[in-house]
Amino acid sequence: MAEHPAKKTGQPRHAQDKLAFLLSLVPYLMDRDRVSVGEAAQHFGVPPEQIREAVRLIGVSGVPGETATYQHGDLFDIAWDDFEDSDQIVLTNLVAIDDSPRFSAREAAALIAGVQYLSALPENTDRNAVASLTAKLSRGASAEPSQVAVEASESDVTLALIRESVTNGVQLEFDYLNSQGEGERRRVDPLRVESVDADWYLRGWCHLREALRTFRIDRISDPAVTTQPITHGTADVTLPESLFEGSADDLLVVIDVAPSAVALLADYSPDNVETVEHDGVVRTTVRVSHYHGLKRLIASMPGVATVVSPPEARAVVAQWAAAGAARYS
Amino acid sequence: MPSASSAPRVPVEERLFSLVLALLATDAGLSKNEILSTVQGYRQKFSHSGDNANLERQFERDKDDIRELGVPLETLESPGQAGNNQNLRYRIPRGAYELPADVRFSPEETTLLNLAAMVWREGSLSGESRRAILKLRSQGVATTEPVLGYAPLVRIREPAFEPLSTALEKHLIVTFAYLKPGERESTVRSVAPLALVQHQGRWHLYARETSTDTTKTFLLRRIVSQVLATTQTFPAPDADSSVTALAELETVWNTHTALVEVEPGTDAATRLGKRRGSSVSGSGALELHYSDLNIFADELASFGPEALVIKPAELRAAVLERLQRTAADHG
Repeated sequence: MAEHPAKKTGQPRHAQDKLAFLLSLVPYLMDRDRVSVGEAAQHFGVPPEQIREAVRLIGVSGVPGETATYQHGDLFDIAWDDFEDSDQIVLTNLVAIDDSPRFSAREAAALIAGVQYLSALPENTDRNAVASLTAKLSRGASAEPSQVAVEASESDVTLALIRESVTNGVQLEFDYLNSQGEGERRRVDPLRVESVDADWYLRGWCHLREALRTFRIDRISDPAVTTQPITHGTADVTLPESLFEGSADDLLVVIDVAPSAVALLADYSPDNVETVEHDGVVRTTVRVSHYHGLKRLIASMPGVATVVSPPEARAVVAQWAAAGAARYS
Repeated sequence: MPSASSAPRVPVEERLFSLVLALLATDAGLSKNEILSTVQGYRQKFSHSGDNANLERQFERDKDDIRELGVPLETLESPGQAGNNQNLRYRIPRGAYELPADVRFSPEETTLLNLAAMVWREGSLSGESRRAILKLRSQGVATTEPVLGYAPLVRIREPAFEPLSTALEKHLIVTFAYLKPGERESTVRSVAPLALVQHQGRWHLYARETSTDTTKTFLLRRIVSQVLATTQTFPAPDADSSVTALAELETVWNTHTALVEVEPGTDAATRLGKRRGSSVSGSGALELHYSDLNIFADELASFGPEALVIKPAELRAAVLERLQRTAADHG
């Protein structure tokens, strides 16, 4: 019997990943006479046991050789005592591999498109540097990189000021409109810049709210670098994984949405959300901090998403859209 | 038939690793029979007298998996035996396998590439970027720690992306149903994919339509069926197809201009005012560019009474119709 009799589309993905890891680890070890398991694990960002497992396999692998029977000299070898007793890796015999593998067409394309996207960041605006890096990645690929590209966005003035305030360790100050349309001057200790596609966000400690907050960069006006030192640095605060944290005060709203648009609401879905599909419509629940944020979201999906309950939420959306329509009469 | 269960179990990664090593070590190439009978992971299951059909199929899958990692596994025909499949030889030429000596990255470049890979941490390119980073780390360059944490992310929500990027890499003609803006019924398109590009946060397919032999740009979110890859191939597209595609989208974006009045001090005034290419006209209204009227109308409708479209008339009508629809649906 074959190992995967029912499979038509190849091995489980992790076997491929493990192979890529082995082919990458060998040249790294070759360049070092001696390296500890801990150091290698840190360099590759993997648990030490993954390094040990790979080294054990490398130590018994090789080529069939002239006799086609994997004789001793045809195999990699390591200093086993150093490895077993002191967690040190020393390769003592090398076969077949001399250097790092090339990138695949898709791997190179992913990196190139990623670099294009990052040219919005103030430190990456040197177009020549980006072009030379792209050329290098193309040369380092085993086939012409796939044609995947992301439009290079213009670097934003606000991003450059955020950068400046971080470098100087000072607070950034700006006008900000919340989703209810109220503007306030904020002072913030910048912690991280995040983005999703074309939208950029600043996460930081807000001195007005005395809490962590996420700000849309396109809602920030009149930013200025202050002279006041920050009180909260990245070492002092743990940023939650998700961009928008749910809170106990959040309002739950039941909506009907077209199946094709469900994915667009992923950011607003509470954990373990229940969804039921009926008559080609998906009924689901979204979490919002305020109905005024909801009305903008729903109005951007006309005929695609409809609020079912509560009635107050329906009314807020209806009034918003009606007020908009009234401007045309 | 020999019982495979009696043979020692060799893990898949060990078999793949051994195959790569064996094929890197040979200049003349190895025949399939040599591989199956001698290479670790195959030889344990090889029958010298019997039927090795299962093992041969396994070898075919392994070749695909290895090639997918960017390993240039070559097939050679034996001299004078062209067309004879049993006499094909396999090898991995060292020069095409190894990263060229002049492709080395500085700590600054390595830092940027790590961040570039993180851009794809969600979705269909995450496996590719994870493996690219392994290969980068293989060179042993330590990264410079950025002062400010960045966590940029490109999210691909369109299910069409994955099959299209595979077809793009393999140069396969694909078919799908496409709903053109403003039309009610979708039509089936048959195209040669040339590039996948993200413009203004949205993914587009740049492709040559086979029936008309003209290049067209399709919005991925308007692909309403599964993308089916055919077995029909086409010549590799120009290396600058993605540049051409982005330039065409930029031209469309430039030619579409709207005049929008925004209430001062509102979310619409701040966000639309900061939109790329926006300018204030003589009347105080914002002059804005857009690529797709329907998508822009959705966006403008979200601002409710904060934004009023002055022109063009089609955009005005589209926004009004949306607001009326939403009001009616919630009345």
